[in-house]
Amino acid sequence: MSARTSGRTSTSTGLGRVLVAVYGVFALAATARSLVQLLTKAGEAPLAYSLSAVAGLVYVAATLGLAEVGPSPRRTAWAAVAFELAGVLTVGTLTVLDPELFPDQTVWSAYGAGYGWLPLVLPFAGIAWLVHTRTHSPRT
Amino acid sequence: MDGPLPLALLVGSLLFAAVVLVYVVLDRTPDWGLLGLAALLEAATLVLLVVAAVQVGDVDLSGGAVVTLFGYLVAGLVLLPLGFVWSLAERSRGATAVLLVAGLAQAFVVVRVMQVWPS
Repeated sequence: MSARTSGRTSTSTGLGRVLVAVYGVFALAATARSLVQLLTKAGEAPLAYSLSAVAGLVYVAATLGLAEVGPSPRRTAWAAVAFELAGVLTVGTLTVLDPELFPDQTVWSAYGAGYGWLPLVLPFAGIAWLVHTRTHSPRT
Repeated sequence: MDGPLPLALLVGSLLFAAVVLVYVVLDRTPDWGLLGLAALLEAATLVLLVVAAVQVGDVDLSGGAVVTLFGYLVAGLVLLPLGFVWSLAERSRGATAVLLVAGLAQAFVVVRVMQVWPS
């Protein structure tokens, strides 16, 4: 049932396909949104909008990594979801402690509460999926 | 944009997502019926885009809001086709559930378009 690439379970099949789709929606939404913000009103909240752009790029990297596009996709995916987890926890904590820190919302503000908490759930789902699809047989 | 089209598209997108959920539960693979429903939604989104383009000159929208509006409308055009491409490459429950994500994202896009458009 499970497709294998070089001895490892694929991250882009089965449940992984849904995860890639959700990451893809976030990649599209966060990147497009930060582009609009940076192009039309960059001066209002440069830090928040730049942060949104970084978040967008991280989602793009996670999407491509999990979809097994490009060289060493598993490493890309690990790096992206780890960065994403650190980002949402750091920015989430900072914005809860000091709501004035960023004049405008970012995708990670208040742990992603404005996005149905999905930004907080996604990195855990991503890490769980990467662990779950690790090789079950000894590596050769 | 004041007509029933945006609301119909929203209801249609949610209906599509609900039908896909049934398919996922029953472990049925996507068929022509599902594809036809998606094609209807796609056509309705295209009409909405044209209507918005025709009427946008008559309403009070700032430059940023116009970019946002058409950004969402263009996103609404690509979501379902991309979802189908990603979904149909594999036959599994997970692959079918991709269409659920696409349908819900489509509904979200329509909601945002309705919010951005001044009523």
